[in-house]
Parts: sequence; structure tokens; C-alpha cells
Amino acid sequence: MKFYHFSEMPYPYVTNELDEKYRGMRTFLPNRTYDPVLGYELYQRYLDEYEMADELGLHLMVNEHHQSATCLQVSATMSAASMVNRTTRARVILLGIPLPHRDNPVHVAEEVAYLDAISGGRIECGFVRGTAVETYPSNQNPVHNQAMFYESHDLIKEAWTRSDVFSWEGRFYNYRYVNVWPRSYQQPHPPIWVTASAPPLIRWTAEHDYNLAFLVGREEDTINIFRIYRRAAAEYGLPEPGPEKFGSMVLCYVAPTAEKARQMGEKLMWYFTTMNPRQKGRLAPGYLSPSKSVDLLQGKLGAVRALGLDALVDAGVILLGTPDTVIKQVERLYESTGVGNMFLMMHAGEMTSNEVRDGMVLFSNEVMPAVASLGEKWEDDDISWRIANDKTPVGNTLSSSVS
Amino acid sequence: MPGGKNMRPPAVFLHDSDVLPGHIGALEQLNDALEIDVPRHPGFGSDDHLAESWDSVGDLAQFHIERIRKRPDGGKLHLMGAGFGGWVALEMAVRAQELFCSLLLVSSYGIKVLDRTVAEFADVFVLEPDELIDLGWYDRTRFAGVRIPGYPSGSETAEDERAFADRAALARYGWRPFMHDPRLSRWIETIDIPVLIIGGAHDGMLAPRHDELLAQRIPTAQFVELAHAGHYSYIEAPDAFADVVLKFLRQHEYL
Repeated sequence: MKFYHFSEMPYPYVTNELDEKYRGMRTFLPNRTYDPVLGYELYQRYLDEYEMADELGLHLMVNEHHQSATCLQVSATMSAASMVNRTTRARVILLGIPLPHRDNPVHVAEEVAYLDAISGGRIECGFVRGTAVETYPSNQNPVHNQAMFYESHDLIKEAWTRSDVFSWEGRFYNYRYVNVWPRSYQQPHPPIWVTASAPPLIRWTAEHDYNLAFLVGREEDTINIFRIYRRAAAEYGLPEPGPEKFGSMVLCYVAPTAEKARQMGEKLMWYFTTMNPRQKGRLAPGYLSPSKSVDLLQGKLGAVRALGLDALVDAGVILLGTPDTVIKQVERLYESTGVGNMFLMMHAGEMTSNEVRDGMVLFSNEVMPAVASLGEKWEDDDISWRIANDKTPVGNTLSSSVS
Repeated sequence: MPGGKNMRPPAVFLHDSDVLPGHIGALEQLNDALEIDVPRHPGFGSDDHLAESWDSVGDLAQFHIERIRKRPDGGKLHLMGAGFGGWVALEMAVRAQELFCSLLLVSSYGIKVLDRTVAEFADVFVLEPDELIDLGWYDRTRFAGVRIPGYPSGSETAEDERAFADRAALARYGWRPFMHDPRLSRWIETIDIPVLIIGGAHDGMLAPRHDELLAQRIPTAQFVELAHAGHYSYIEAPDAFADVVLKFLRQHEYL
């Protein structure tokens, strides 16, 4: 089992009044409410925490959002560039690059190749569609989001593997000459991850033999989504996928006492309570099908947001407690889902740097050694998620996903 | 006067986004004097499969033009469009004005007349239903003929799905640049058929003076503002709307 440290690098100084007035912290909260000096201090703090995570033996996850106080990471590739120069051991997963929102896929291919080149091959490259709300900062047409994702991917993959100059005249992207320098250190390219919760994209990910990530979902949804991937991989004639193919993002805090952990759990809830997108399904027409949009409007999607702390812990969305408790929670998630990579959001909102560091240290000292070997010999395990053992029909997905 | 006795001159009315199909508002009474065809745009519940490979109002305009060219009786039509449909009508007039004897635009999108940092068109995708009604109507108690996803609360799932699909179609055609086309803007001055532009004095969906400034860009255009109407003047003030249209058509001896 691999563990990654992740922080969205939030800007926590937004008052409830401002949050209320602008109906959330994304897109419409004027940037005059951002203080450049406080912002500088935050960036130093967050980068220091990432550096410490590397020293503790954790890997690192970066992401990006735009025009938002919830996340000051503005480019996964720029964040990764900041990380690789401060760290020596950790693998850095970009999860991910929102392909449809990047105007220039060739630049994406170059930037990731550059990161992999300067880090000596420490990059894991995640491709995502980008959440619906990202549609406004990028102003890319939500109707074309999925098709742009596929074409952008095809072009980047070609740029990484063609080894020669080629031209690309697609529906969304046009280049007369594509010829990416440098080449990535890992050949033919860094491992590719895709975040997916809809069956067609899960199957596509399996078909390409990429790794699958599911972010902030309930355990039962994670089981179902990984199940769809495993069955698709079998259909495509691929070997049975092991835990290394799967990642899930959970919120996590480990504390010496249950009381302290609970106190920190309440602070982690900032991540959910600030998820306040305007307009629900109306926001990005065509990003979801009309029926999914209605589900969102009626509160059937994004159900995770409505859960309280206890329910989120029960659902496996938050790992919380003393080291012994969290060890059991990690073991439970491995046994039920077969996940082999956990992206741990060990920080949210107003948690202090000391609180974040205490949690990371305890996790790496007490939890990680106890569960690091999970999944190493999965092929010898007669476990529930193995293709031969899992007879459960595929269920409805996206019933709880945050994005 | 085209057509014989008892023959109503043919017209085509291109609908706005979010509006229901059919002869709504003033179209019903105008249909006594004109034979008004109200086609649905592909993507808005009719020929939706065609729209899947399209991405511009130009596609839509060409579709309607080809449809008109195939009419068995030939002859020129009165071209009309409201809101988003006004944009389509403008594009059609620029592409094939030989098919039309007049052009009516109602609170039309399609042309940006104000500065690049002015958000000239209200963002229907971001505004809440109540905000849209406040912006779109002079008297919100007259709200009718318009379908907004999830409004009113408890609306039928099938209706909401249709409303979402319509919104997706609008996004397909009008997402970027938002609700206008700079290329179209370069050519509207070539329109030389009679043009009537009707605006609602309380239309908050368009920036103030948008309709009037658009009218100034087209040499043959006249502008009429209806005092007690918003963006959907043909629904909100059908009698006043029909009077203005009929007067325009008589002025040019089409009736």
C-alpha cells in the first residue's frame, strides 16, 4: 500500500459572511479578499508540509482548481515542479490535469515530460475531466468536455510515444508539427491515472490499462467502481488488476486520543462545508447527461456532501482516530475494495501547520509500518474483490461522488 | 402584396432558448395575419441527433436555410427570431437574405455592441431561476411559456430533463464567445431588407441600450421599445407586440 500526502492548499481566511454573500468560494468570490502576504506565508507553509511528508516516507499528490479560495494550487504541473525541487524520494502524482480545460495538450505533454525528466522519473500523471465548476474559469464548452478529454489524451499519448514529428488535425486540436522535447525519463511515458466514476470512462481506463482513481467516495461506491474496472479489464483480455492499479482519496487524521482525532475530524469537515457550488446541475449544461443533471438537482448525486462526520467515517470517506483505529480502517478498505494507493487529505481549512504535521508524523510512524505490506501478495489472497470471488452485480455509480 | 386573397404571407419564427414549443404569446394572434412556422432548433427537442456534430449558430442557420430552400412553394418569407432565435435569424439574413422579405428581431443575442469588459448578456447558466425571472420580466406574475430546469420546485423529472437538454443545446451553440459571434458582427451591415428590432424596456437579460445600439448597426433597421415588457415581450405584452409588428408589415405594404 502506498500513501500520498495531499492538501488542496486552501485559503482559510474567508469569512462566513463572504462565503454566504458570494454563494461559495469558487469563481465569484472577488480576489480582493485574498491577502498577498498571508498568501505567501500559506504557500511556504504548505510546501514545507509537502517537504516534510517526503521526509516521512509519504508520497505526494498535487491537483489544481481555478479561481477558488478552496484550493490555491492553480496548476498541477506547476505544483509538481515546486515539489520535485524540494523533495528527493517521493513519487509525485498529478491528480490531475483537467485535460478539457487546458487549451494546449502539447504543452501538457511537454510539461509532464519536463517534470519527469528533472525528477528522474518520479512522476505519476493523472488525467481528469475537471469538475463542472471548472467550466467557468477555463470557459471551455461543457458540452464537449468528454470528447475533448479523449482527444486531448490521444494527442498527448501520441506526442509521448510517436518518437517523430507528426501532424494533428482533430476536432478540437490542430497542430502542423508535434514533436515534444524533452522525452520523459520513464519510457514510454509516466504511469497514467484517470479519475472516473461513470461506467464508460471506467471501462475506457481499463481498456487502456491505466490506473483508476476514485476521489472522496463512499466505500460501497469505491467497491462498485473498482468492480466495473476489473470486469472490463477481464473483458479486454488484460491480466487481473492488482491493488497497484487502484487509488482512492480519503480524508484522514491520526491522533494520540480519540477525542483529539474527533476534534481534528471536525476541522476536516471544512472540505465538505465549503463545497457549495451554485446552481447544482444547471451550472455546466452538457457536462452531465440530462438525467444525471436532474439527479444532481434532486440531491441524488453528491450525497457525500450531506453526510455528517460520523456517517463519513462509517462510509470510509474519512479515516479518523488513534493509530490502532486507523490501521483497522485502512485494512478494512483494502479488504473490501482492493485499493493499493491511498491519497490522504490530512489537512483542510483552518487546521494549523502543527496539527497537520502531528497527524502526518503519527500516521507515518504508527500506521504506515503496520499496513505498508497490504496488497503485496494479493495474488496469493483469496479475497472478496478478486474477479473469481466477486459475483455481485454492478450497481449504480456516482451516487455519492463529490465532484 | 404577396399571396392571393385569403392567403396569409408565410413567416418563420425562430425560438429563444428556454421557451416552450409552438405559437406562444403574440405568435398566436399574429398567426391570423401571417402563416407562421415555428420550427424547433435541432438540439432543442427536434432532430437532436443532427446537432451532435455541430458547434455553432452557423450550423443551425444553414440547417434552417436549407429547410426553407426546399419548400415546395418557393416565395419569400418574413424572418423572425427572439433572443437566441434572433441570433439565428441574423445569421440566416446575412447568409441568404434573398429568401426573406423582412426581418424581425426581438431582444436578440448574437451581436456584442458594448466594450469587451462589459458582460452584455445575463448568464442563464449561472443565475438562479428567481433571478432569471426578475431579469427577464417586467411583471413576474406574467411569467409563462418559459421552461427552467428545476423550476418551479417539484417540477416533473421528464420536463427537467428536457429543460437540461435545451440548456446543453444552448451551450453547444452559444458558449464561447458567450451568446455572440464577432464574425457575424462584421457582416450585419450588408442586410438591406426592412428590419424591425423590438426591445422590452425592462429586459435585464441584455445590457441597457443593447437593442437600440444593434439597430444603429443595421442601415435598414428601426427600433421600437415596449414600455411594459422585459426580455420575452411577445409573451408578456402580446397585444402591444402584435400591434407593432402589424404596423411594420403594413408600413412596408406586406399586409
